[in-house]
Amino acid sequence: MASERVIVGSLAGAFGVKGEVRLKSYCADPAAIATYTPLSTEDGRLFRVVVLTGQIPNGFAARIEGIDSKEEADALRGAALYALRARLPHLADDEYYHADLIGLAVSDTGGTPLGRVKAVLNHGATDLLEIARPEGGETVLLPFTLAAVPTVDIASGRIVADPPDGLF
Amino acid sequence: MARSVWKGPFVDAYVLKKAEVSRESGRNEVIKIWSRRSTILPQFVGLTFGVYNGKKHIPVNVTEDMIGQKFGEYSPTRTYYGHAADKKAKRK
Repeated sequence: MASERVIVGSLAGAFGVKGEVRLKSYCADPAAIATYTPLSTEDGRLFRVVVLTGQIPNGFAARIEGIDSKEEADALRGAALYALRARLPHLADDEYYHADLIGLAVSDTGGTPLGRVKAVLNHGATDLLEIARPEGGETVLLPFTLAAVPTVDIASGRIVADPPDGLF
Repeated sequence: MARSVWKGPFVDAYVLKKAEVSRESGRNEVIKIWSRRSTILPQFVGLTFGVYNGKKHIPVNVTEDMIGQKFGEYSPTRTYYGHAADKKAKRK
């Protein structure tokens, strides 16, 4: 179910007049964006080399291969940057990328559909799966624990949940 | 100014009662509470509380390192959806 590309940042215009860009990173470790090259834009333009040259408010100053002037950098203001999902490092058992979990179908142990994962949240306790119900309406938060979510099958795009009483 | 030690931690009485009933029943359930001001006590470890955030009850699995905090700290009243990017979730 995991999509091939994952959004990892965006361009916020030029930094200075020598072709550097303002780069916003959405990564857990913001500087990791430079390791996920090649990055691409929505329309498929590819940037093979991204070098972070400094830290600025709300992001990084960066030099990107293929952007040599302030005009070129300004033209890309607002462009989202995508990395290939395959470029993300492998994770330990029971660790999952949010991007892999979002969109998975959730059913209970009896096979009754409960909805789809809309988002993964963490408010300081355990991670929570926000599940959009098939009939619409209010979303439900399911603790992402071994007890409440015994099976996560990313290959077949489904999650089996054993939610505590009173949640759904 | 910090709370006087002689008073002990503050917990709304109904939270204690609900937690006790749930623990005795042994059922796997979410204990719905509205008391964001209550302190998390050692006897709450292992239970799942649904802490009200003004709109809905946010499930909070209580673990040992949460003892002494308030329930409200784990149930934010504002939601921000960032980008998934390379963020990870761990199933505990």
